[in-house]
Amino acid sequence: MRSYRALIRATARAALAYRLNLLLGLGAVLVQLIALLAVWQVILAQSPVNGFTWPQMRAYLLVAFAAGTVVSLMGDFRMAFRILDGDVALDLVKPIDYQRARFAEAIGGLWIEVVLIAVVVGVTLALTGGVDVPAGPGLALFIASMLLLVPLKFLIVYVSTLACFWTQNFMGVQWARLAVVNLFSGALIPLAFLPGWLATTAQWSPFAGLTSTPALIFLGRVDPGHGLVLVGVQLAWVLALWFGARLVWQAALRRLTVNGG
Amino acid sequence: MPIVEARALTKVFRRPDKGPGLAGSVKHLFARRFQDKVAVDHIDLSIEAGEAVAYVGPNGAGKSTTVKLLSGILVPTQGEVRIDGLHPQRDRMTVAHRIGVLFGQRTQLWWDLPVAESLAVLRDIYGVDPATYRKRLARFDEVLELGEILTVVGRKLSLGQRMRADLAAALIHGPQVVYLDEPTIGLDLAVKERVREFFRSIRDEGTTVMLTSHDLADIEGFCRRLVIIDEGRIIFDGDLEAVKDRYARERILHIETARPVPLETLRASLPGAQVTVEDSPLRYAVRFDRFTMTAGHAVTALAGLTDLVDFRVDEPSIEDVIRRVYSGELVLG
Repeated sequence: MRSYRALIRATARAALAYRLNLLLGLGAVLVQLIALLAVWQVILAQSPVNGFTWPQMRAYLLVAFAAGTVVSLMGDFRMAFRILDGDVALDLVKPIDYQRARFAEAIGGLWIEVVLIAVVVGVTLALTGGVDVPAGPGLALFIASMLLLVPLKFLIVYVSTLACFWTQNFMGVQWARLAVVNLFSGALIPLAFLPGWLATTAQWSPFAGLTSTPALIFLGRVDPGHGLVLVGVQLAWVLALWFGARLVWQAALRRLTVNGG
Repeated sequence: MPIVEARALTKVFRRPDKGPGLAGSVKHLFARRFQDKVAVDHIDLSIEAGEAVAYVGPNGAGKSTTVKLLSGILVPTQGEVRIDGLHPQRDRMTVAHRIGVLFGQRTQLWWDLPVAESLAVLRDIYGVDPATYRKRLARFDEVLELGEILTVVGRKLSLGQRMRADLAAALIHGPQVVYLDEPTIGLDLAVKERVREFFRSIRDEGTTVMLTSHDLADIEGFCRRLVIIDEGRIIFDGDLEAVKDRYARERILHIETARPVPLETLRASLPGAQVTVEDSPLRYAVRFDRFTMTAGHAVTALAGLTDLVDFRVDEPSIEDVIRRVYSGELVLG
């Protein structure tokens, strides 16, 4: 464990080196958040759509922003670069488990993401009014869901980044992942706005756990029983992906070619 | 029992075989053709504990691939590797503690952390206890002069500083076997000398070292055993000094005389040597076999004929021998 704790600390410290990058990235995400807030405010000004009122949609967008910011800043770029460049060779001669080591790095970057979320959510709430926080069981489920979001998102990013072993390119992989995640997680629009069959598919996919599940629980749009099922689905995907990723990794190792040096 | 053992080690890479230009690339999308490239071809190698082995070969000969196979980074297509009797993939964790790897062109330092913190992370990863860690760091510092660079952030290091820090990083866990792949590439002479001194110090402590380098000066005076690889096969494996004695026997004595001397006179006084005129009529080169004639004998003989203004002897170097092997001019038996 000592080795993984060391990695968490190292990444937590290295995260500071990216301050400027983070602020620029934050700017981009903020613009998007403001745009979405503005659009939905206009759409929902007269009457609710699909059962979403304006205050609810505002809360939804804030949860979506928080969920989107967690495990987004550190890790995948570095990991992809090391795979493409062949530096991954040096990761392979360390007495640590590659997957756990990358997870430790994702956790190390969390604190700065949480700070960003706190600032943005705080400012938004101050400017647009408060949100209703769910009562006891709902809140507990929401927290559980947000916690499960961390390994879930890490694993989705991790597995897709492993694709670099095959594609020799990271941008394509990243764009493809973002497109799929944005649509199927409910980050772009709530899943209720999708055609029924697509919404159902998305609901059971691992991606729903990235935005839709915590957001719906926070809004109280699902009762605690249903919420428990959704959180259970999140957990099931975390376990499935954790072990699935190991198979992908094994296959990737057999494919590994490190050219030069 | 050898500490590193490879049997029939083979690695085949599959490369896409695309035709020329865009048309070739598009065609490749539909009809995928691949070409097998045998990077390492049935290599047998066994290294005893404490040996220092030079592993040389021309570019693309398969040196780095061998090192990656021997350190468990790459999975062999055929054959097997044992490190201290262990399987590098199956026992990855245990093997990782016993080996240290340095790739001159890669770094394992954290780009955004000071060197000291990178080393501390490695200390924790390898579970080195604080007392041992301090002792090792102090010893590395003696030769590598780490003091000045410990507080520098990874990305701000110069190449020479980076290599010194990377050497410390590769050895901080006290590995029994160390693979050094092009460890002096791009370094200036002063840093090279310091790094070589460091190699000697780890060798003298009993660490097994496998050194891959294009700079044969890294090898001379450091490795006793020479392994030459070409096109994925080991073409020579034996004692380095023996190779020199056998194939690098020729010495060249360069002389400068006060007045021109007829070549015939010089040749007559030195039977068994070849004498040629160099870039000016006052300069001559005398080639002789160092086992049949000494440089002293040659100088004395020449001094009796004419006034010698200057002379210099070119030592045979392993570099010449290996250059001749690469070019196919020489086959080592």
